[in-house]
Formats: sequence, structure tokens, C-alpha cells
Amino acid sequence: MSPPAMPTKEKTTAPALAVNGLSLPPPQLHPKIQLEEEQENQEHPSGLLDSIMWMAAPKKRRTIEINRTRRRAESKLIKVKNNIEPCLECGHLKQKHVLCGFCYAKVSRETGLIRQQINAMEGGPLRTPTVETVVLYEGETPSTQDKDKRIVERPRKRPAWFSY
Amino acid sequence: MAAAGTGSGFVFVRNVCGLFRDSRLAVLARPQQLSWFHSSSSLSTKNWEKKNLKVFPPQLPEEARRPAEVHHCRRQIKYSKDKMWYLAKMIRGMSIDEAVAQLEFNDKKGAKIMKEVLLEAQEMAVKTHNVEYKSNLHVAESFSSKGKYLKRIRYHGRGMFGIMDKVYCHYFVKLVEGPPPRPEQKTGLDQAREYVQKLKDRTVIHSL
Repeated sequence: MSPPAMPTKEKTTAPALAVNGLSLPPPQLHPKIQLEEEQENQEHPSGLLDSIMWMAAPKKRRTIEINRTRRRAESKLIKVKNNIEPCLECGHLKQKHVLCGFCYAKVSRETGLIRQQINAMEGGPLRTPTVETVVLYEGETPSTQDKDKRIVERPRKRPAWFSY
Repeated sequence: MAAAGTGSGFVFVRNVCGLFRDSRLAVLARPQQLSWFHSSSSLSTKNWEKKNLKVFPPQLPEEARRPAEVHHCRRQIKYSKDKMWYLAKMIRGMSIDEAVAQLEFNDKKGAKIMKEVLLEAQEMAVKTHNVEYKSNLHVAESFSSKGKYLKRIRYHGRGMFGIMDKVYCHYFVKLVEGPPPRPEQKTGLDQAREYVQKLKDRTVIHSL
């Protein structure tokens, strides 16, 4: 059965609802108010999929030209650094306000070995003696200042950067 | 009747074969004249590596010295081509020392890989491409492109799923011998002169 034909009066006032089998109520005394109520009841989102009235969505696909101008804007490009200089000690590159990576690695390797030696001397955790420690390399004797200190021996030549 | 039919059939087939032999095969014997054929039959697209194999004829004494070039690339880097593009754009036109310095102090993942590629290319240039000084190189071309992606499933709510791409990229670089080309500095006067010339060069079409 074809859906009932809309009366001409309601064609101009109400938006057409493409719902089959919609039975129109008999003409009321105040048709405009009734129509507004009907519209409110029928256009409630029946689920998340029908929420077209209040979710923002893009209207058109952004073209590649627009995308490129946004992605390649001056603010998004990587800035060239001008604070790189060579390290005076080793010649590798370093940043002005940062320690040289190569020199730092060199020092930390040696301090790691010293720490291993100390762990071997102590034998376990929480056995640090209550005296100062001094590191001596090959061919060095403790001086008068090192009288009461714990001595850690390293079997190698004193590195140039480890001043006494 | 059957014999006659088959006889004419045989003649017909022979004619067709003859036609085929004359036209198609003869044309196939002259491959340069095929304009409707897809000329590159191989499926390989690793053309950047092949650019190093190109050999130029010896230069004449009056010709300008052609600078040495080396093409290098790395394929299937586990990084995004869009993110790699920013680094590639940064080092375009820099000298190799400058480029390596900038990449060393950049925190991006692609910077480390790009630095390795540049150093490899520099070594290649000195060893096999007749470059005298390793610092006398500059980055002429540098760009990234999409590699082959792996696809995975990304689980969403309500039983929905999306297909996630595990992105890979390629990185290409061309080093050329010589100092980096300086971009031309245009003065205001030059720009104004050009503008006025452009206005003067306008023509009105369909006029008397």
C-alpha cells in the first residue's frame, strides 16, 4: 500500500520525513505547535549512529595542496642548530652548553671500573667504610694526605684527564 | 565436400599464420619502433642504486669538469616517510660535515639512520667514486619515500576494527663533489626591476 498522501497545507510547513507507514494525526486546532512536538519526538537520535545533528564532521576532503601547506609551514620545519662546536679535548662535536659525549663516555667507563673494584673490595652491600677513598694508579704511593683514607688500586697508568 | 572444406580451412589458417609471421614478429624484431608497448618489462624499481653504474664518455679538454657524484640509499627503514621528510628537507643543500653535525644533535630516530647513510655514502665516494677530499662533498638531493607496509589489525570498541599500517620508508641521498651551491641573494633593487619588467612584458590578447 502506498503511504498516505500529504495534505497540501502541511507540505509547506513541515519538512518531509521519508519514513514509510507514517500515519498522520487528524488535523488539529493548533497545527503548528503539534507539528513542532512531532518533529522533536521523531528527530531524537535513536542511537550513536544517528547523531548527525550535533557531531562536528569534515565537510570536504582536505586536498593534498592544503595538507602540504600546513605540514610544510616554516614553524613545522626543523630548525638548524648554530650551537655546535668541536670539543677541544678530543675533537668530536659537542653542543656549547653540554658536555662532550665522547669525553663523558671515556670518563664514565673508567669510573665504572673503579666502582667494580670498590665492590670487589667491599664484598657486599652496605659495607662502605666511614673513611674517604682515594684512587691510586700504577707506580704511585700514598702521600701524607692519604694517611687515613681507603686506597683503591687500579692496575693501569694514570689517565691524563684524572689529575691528582 | 569435407575434404574441400578442410583444404580451404588449412589455406585459411596458413594465410593467417603468414600474416602473423610478417606483421607481428617483424615488428617485434624492431623494438625501438614499438610505441604502444610498455617498454620497461622488468618489475624492479631499484633504480637509485643503478645510477652509480652509469659511465660517462671521457670528457673533452675544453669541457667543464664534471663533478663526481655518488648515489646512496637505504631501503625499508622502520620509520615514517613523512617524519623522514623533515630531516631530508633540513639537510638539502648543506655540506656533508654540516649535515652530519646537524643530524648528530637531532633527537629524532631517523636522524641516526640518516647519519649512517651519509657516512656510508661519503666512504663510498672516497673509495670508489674518485673523490679526493671527503669534506669536499655536498648534499645535492635528499628525499624519502614509502616502503612496503605491513598490515595489522587494530581493535576498536563494539566489535569494530581498523587496519593498522606498520610503516617503512626508503631514504635516498646524492652527494656531489664541491662546495655547496650558494643561493643567489637578490637585492631589493633587482626584485623591483624584475617586477617592473614583468609588468612591461604583459600583452593584451586579441587586441589590435
